[in-house]
Amino acid sequence: MRLETRKLLDKAFSGLGLISIAVMAIALLLILTPIVWRGSKAFVFKGTIEHRRVMLEQFHRGNAEKFNKDYAEVVAARAPIYDMLTDFEAGTEQRVSSIETEMDAKKERAKELKAEARVLKREGQTEEAEKLEAEEDRLKDEAKALKTQISELKESRTEPLESVIDALQELFGPMPGQRTPVLLRQQYGQTRWDRTLVKLHEVLYTEEWDYSNADAMGILIEKPRIDQFIGTEMESFFPYLEENISEMMQPRRTFYWQFITDKSKDSHIFGGIWPEVLGTIYLTIGAMIFAIPMGVIAAIYLCEYAKEGRIISFIRICISTLAGVPSIVFGLFGLAFFLNTIQVSDSKSVLAGSLTLSLLILPTIIRSSEEAILAVPRAYKEASLGLGASRWHTVLTVILPAALPGILTGIVISMGRAAGETAPIIFTAAVSVGAPLKLWQTLSQPTPALPWNIYNLCTEHEAVDEIRHVQYGMVFTLVAIVLLLNLGAILMRARISKKLRG
Amino acid sequence: MSKKANTSLIMSDAASRRQRISSLLGQSILFLITSLSTITVFFIFYFILKDALPFFKAEGFKEFFTTARWYPSGSPAEFGALPIFVGTGLVTLGAVVVAVPLGIAASVCLSDLLPFNVRQIVKPVIEVLAAIPSVAYGFFALVVFAPLLQNHGGAILSAGVWIVLGPLIALLVVVMGDLITDKLRDKMNPKTAGAIIFPILGIAAFIFLYRLSAQLSGVEISSGTNALNVSIILGIMALPTVVSVSEDALQAAGRELREGSYALGATRAETIIKTIIPASISGILAAVILGVMRAIGETMVVWMASGNASRIPDPWYNMLQPVRTLTATIAGDMGEADHVTGSSRFHVLFAMAFCLLAFSFIMNLVSEIIVKRSRKKLGK
Repeated sequence: MRLETRKLLDKAFSGLGLISIAVMAIALLLILTPIVWRGSKAFVFKGTIEHRRVMLEQFHRGNAEKFNKDYAEVVAARAPIYDMLTDFEAGTEQRVSSIETEMDAKKERAKELKAEARVLKREGQTEEAEKLEAEEDRLKDEAKALKTQISELKESRTEPLESVIDALQELFGPMPGQRTPVLLRQQYGQTRWDRTLVKLHEVLYTEEWDYSNADAMGILIEKPRIDQFIGTEMESFFPYLEENISEMMQPRRTFYWQFITDKSKDSHIFGGIWPEVLGTIYLTIGAMIFAIPMGVIAAIYLCEYAKEGRIISFIRICISTLAGVPSIVFGLFGLAFFLNTIQVSDSKSVLAGSLTLSLLILPTIIRSSEEAILAVPRAYKEASLGLGASRWHTVLTVILPAALPGILTGIVISMGRAAGETAPIIFTAAVSVGAPLKLWQTLSQPTPALPWNIYNLCTEHEAVDEIRHVQYGMVFTLVAIVLLLNLGAILMRARISKKLRG
Repeated sequence: MSKKANTSLIMSDAASRRQRISSLLGQSILFLITSLSTITVFFIFYFILKDALPFFKAEGFKEFFTTARWYPSGSPAEFGALPIFVGTGLVTLGAVVVAVPLGIAASVCLSDLLPFNVRQIVKPVIEVLAAIPSVAYGFFALVVFAPLLQNHGGAILSAGVWIVLGPLIALLVVVMGDLITDKLRDKMNPKTAGAIIFPILGIAAFIFLYRLSAQLSGVEISSGTNALNVSIILGIMALPTVVSVSEDALQAAGRELREGSYALGATRAETIIKTIIPASISGILAAVILGVMRAIGETMVVWMASGNASRIPDPWYNMLQPVRTLTATIAGDMGEADHVTGSSRFHVLFAMAFCLLAFSFIMNLVSEIIVKRSRKKLGK
């Protein structure tokens, strides 16, 4: 090959390497951006008056006086909407009743004619009677036509109205004068401005799917609802709604930091994620309580006491095997051993989950502690032993303090790992819905936890699309916890390496 | 006075014995705690196998490993897990295709190309990639990536072709063009030969790429939760493992080797490709194995975003169809099977877990042996 080509190839090779690094960075960015951006919207968003109502009524938070003033304005702004609905209903009824009176009159007349015809028949005037009977039949037909007209009228006015009312209730909550619904989510309108706009769209347009092309997927067709109400009392309903929506909802920038510390209401439709956060904290700390002593002691033994031999190399192989066991297998093991065999608790519990997680992170802690202990200069140890301290004394007073920052780094990283693991806690600790646990309840009770509930909310919840913000908020919280822990570890390590370099 | 000093400096026999015993006792306690992880490994094998055996006793091996009908809740229940094994393999293969080239290129870049300061910035990126919880990856795959794939599948595929194959084919064109001009040196002026050959090759490559991407942009993906989606995400998740282990291996090849190669007049690329990578190939292999293990053992991403259809894709390499994997089956079916503890439906999940466990155990041993051997070879 020519020299120029070799140089070119060298450059191209470097380029490929850089591209791979760039791809990695871009992948990280692509994954983190939606999580951070949309996750932060669980905390900072435009909250409507309904959000403030939920806060006031369910969490007793906020200024009641100011709220009442605002709410009075909102009610006033919404009043014309409901008036139009009642007008329309009244109009329907009026029309129905006017047709009904007409129908009744015709029926009455038909009855009279029938009676007259009977009289005439008895008198022998068959011809006249037949005439009257024909007239009666005609009237009856007309009455029947009026009846179908009524049902048509009802169909054309009542059914669209009902679907408008349904959509409107999702937007604003129950209608004035309506009985309070049982489900909490039906007692309030949309709490967020973005969801308000979605629901407004649903009020303004009907959705239909066109499946005429069997090969392709269905095509969504949206039709404005106003077409169904042209020439009625509702004609100005839709423009009014669209123009005055912000007066009716009063969106305001809200910083809802209590999202982390609030309980959830009505399976995460309202409120925050405190039970999940607390469950994750319990599980993580529980796992650390078991894993730290075991891991650090094992590392001390392997570094300071063990003589390299068959048994020790076997133990090392076991540790690396343990590190390679898939996390779901840990979950099954936790179920089969901790719950079904030694029965640390009757049902799933935080205790069983913590024990399972501690086994999962044990190899990580052993390895990182070992590294930290090996990094302590030999001179420290030799000086201590030379002064006559026993081996154990040396370990406790000289080696461990010197290795502590390194050990802590490993511990912090494995804390992040324990907080984010899902598979081991599915069968041992996690439930979808639950109250925040008291400390002593962790011995016997299962808990909701962030990783499990993220899965649960975005696959099994009955209103997946309605609570996207909660899902993103949870993912954001979990990722933030894990990344903060890792950031701490990175900073700690930077300090250690600075110190070691002098 | 002298007597007192004597007793304080020299231990009596009893005290010495006591100390020896206590230190022995302490050491044995430490040993016990250390061997806890060994015991755990044995317990895991024992308890998984204990619950897996009843399944094999009741249903035998043949149906489980060779048939394709998976209806554990039907009557009679059918336990053909072949599609699940195929799905696992397919997804893992896809993850390897994503993670291995990218990971090795990145690790080469980290160990040989980047200056120290830049490396200090890039390393945290890898650590963050490794630290993000798997459920967050799963959430991204299900909520962000799957709808994108479903709605703009063709565009994404053709863009992917340009991004991945574009640089590679450009490189290929340069190499081929240069080789051909070199061969034609006797008959033609190299400059005119280059002026003719490079455009021809370039246009041919462009047309090839264009046709390929045009064909792919017509593809419609009926469901965004499929093997492709999961493979890409799993590949990204396995990347940090591959990068860090193979970077260690490349570093271990040592300075002398590199300097020797440079002294012989090799460029950096030649040094890396012809000297460093062959020297550290076993470590890189171990990295690949660890990456495979990471992908195969991952639960949440596949459970959320693979579509969970226990059907062998048609044809088997069709990545655009939903698949089901071992881990997702265990996670998903245990909820239902938990109430029927003791039935084949419960035990079959342990049988699957045992297959996973056995596979990861063997892989782990292999990588361990490879790493040990390579260390010996490099004399460390």
